[in-house]
Amino acid sequence: MVDYDRDSILSMPHRPRATLVVRSHERGATVPRARRLREWASLLLMAFMLQGCGLIVDAVQLVHPIATNELDAICARGQVRVGMAVEPFQPFVFPAIYTDEGLRVTGLDVELVREISAALSRRCGGTKPIVPTLQLIRFRNLFVELTEGNLDLFVSSISANVPAQGRIGLAYSSPYFDEGGISGITRQPDTAKRIGEYVRRSSTKTADAHAMAQAFSGLTVAVQEGTSAQFYAEANLTGIKLILCDSLPAAFESQNPPIDVILGKQPVLDYTVRRVRKNWQLLKLDNGKPLFLTHEHYAIVTDEESYRLRQFLNDLLFRLDESGRLTDMRQRWLEDLYAYPRRAATEGLPFAAEKMPQHYDQGQCRLADNRSR
Amino acid sequence: MKLIRYAALVGILTTIAIGAMAPSPSWAVDRAEAEETARLLAKLLKAGRLVIEQNQLLIDDQQKGDKGFTPEVFEQQLVQEFRQQTGIDLSKLQSTPASLAVPPLAKELLPAFVLASKEVVRDAQVVINQRGIGYKNFIPATYGSQAAARFSKQSRVRLKQTTLGPRNPKNEPDDYEASVLKWLSSRPRAEAYVSELTDQGQTLRVVMPIYYVPACLTCHGEPKGDLDISGYPKEGHREGDLAGAITVTAPLSLR
Repeated sequence: MVDYDRDSILSMPHRPRATLVVRSHERGATVPRARRLREWASLLLMAFMLQGCGLIVDAVQLVHPIATNELDAICARGQVRVGMAVEPFQPFVFPAIYTDEGLRVTGLDVELVREISAALSRRCGGTKPIVPTLQLIRFRNLFVELTEGNLDLFVSSISANVPAQGRIGLAYSSPYFDEGGISGITRQPDTAKRIGEYVRRSSTKTADAHAMAQAFSGLTVAVQEGTSAQFYAEANLTGIKLILCDSLPAAFESQNPPIDVILGKQPVLDYTVRRVRKNWQLLKLDNGKPLFLTHEHYAIVTDEESYRLRQFLNDLLFRLDESGRLTDMRQRWLEDLYAYPRRAATEGLPFAAEKMPQHYDQGQCRLADNRSR
Repeated sequence: MKLIRYAALVGILTTIAIGAMAPSPSWAVDRAEAEETARLLAKLLKAGRLVIEQNQLLIDDQQKGDKGFTPEVFEQQLVQEFRQQTGIDLSKLQSTPASLAVPPLAKELLPAFVLASKEVVRDAQVVINQRGIGYKNFIPATYGSQAAARFSKQSRVRLKQTTLGPRNPKNEPDDYEASVLKWLSSRPRAEAYVSELTDQGQTLRVVMPIYYVPACLTCHGEPKGDLDISGYPKEGHREGDLAGAITVTAPLSLR
């Protein structure tokens, strides 16, 4: 005879799918053997009928709804666990640096995390503020850590509207940045000219998918693996040689083969060519505006079952937008002249150094597989 | 106000002139010991800053992942640099010859500062060992701020880096430090330091100047007003100009 410990289930603050506590029934020894066999058989039958752990958990939740939602769990913990990419996506997330105050990370997304923490502190109403515990981890691992329940949310200029395979169990907040998009940079004036020429000849005078496919055909195009640029390129750009890189800095350094164009998030690429890699240029239209291959907006990512948290975040983003705060943040990070080490020292956030890869490496680039695109 | 400042400067000058002379025999030994300890601590912080400066290219090398600049390597270099500057071997502190006269208080506090410095370098490893990222802002000033802060937390002696118009507001000089810095800035470079008793003779304050060397001028030199790599406007300084000071504040009732 087994028995679910109801108290244990109800007191689980933030692991709704945690293992249920099973214990031997105290009277088990006195139960007749035939009856015990029947009960075991019933349980086995139930387990067979409820194939999959999720169904069992759902069944238990139906009988004994779990009292604590993810917002209450954050309040109880006094911490909100936030993931961020260790690979830089400046100006959203800058590389971690050392400051007079110790290790810090800064950027638009970090400022957003500050807002989230402040709002959570108000929501929780305790005497102590909710502390953001930042975990700088590899971009590809953000998704894994969230689905495994090790993070409450993550931010890193994540595109919410470019379809991606394998992103299951996640959900996106309302956008906090809706002027994003996929664009390209090159250090070859001829390549920029060639792409501009194709766009000019296109009937719509914009970057329609067909014109883009032609414009990029035959070029060697690098993208950061796992980002929306990869998914876009695989879906739309036929005839390119696609190079997958572990990070944007790796794409800049790739020599073999030499890269014609790097595709990525337009605000990130724009910041990079203006401040860091000045020998590269952003692909532009004749009117001087950036050439967007598609538009995208950036959102906060949560577990799909974190409804309360997402509602809370959406409400916060609505208020930040209404008050003009989001516009100010975009202005500060994308348009103002500043250097991030200075901002890191004054407004950056500390992070859990032990979670960061000990020898973070920008990684390498490699040829994508030969699937037809 | 000017009169007060003048009086303060005269006081400082007088203090320097009389140096280690004991104004009152009741605390004379304590003061001499505290002063020498403070001087050595300031020297040690300066040596640590120098070690970081000497490894700056390695730390900022974006081609290299693991830099090998571990806390132990830092410690070895720090010990070596300090020995070159003072003749004192920190690894054999307890058996230091009497001729070098390392006070007992210094024998206690110098290793504590080395330990605090190693902790700073240990914490910075995740940043130092990033490959693909050049400037990491682990520079003499940020090392110094953190090492001084950690040491000060664990000890009753307070170490601080300060300058007039500091980049970090926490390094803003107090009135006393500002007076000394102004006085020092109008004088030619010297290895001297300023020592004075404050709080009715209860606290000893030692101010040791730091001067700009060529490596500092990448960020603090010309052209004035241009932003340096960390985003601060360059100050337009030249080699030999006063960069600031390390101040040590030690209560005389330490033991």
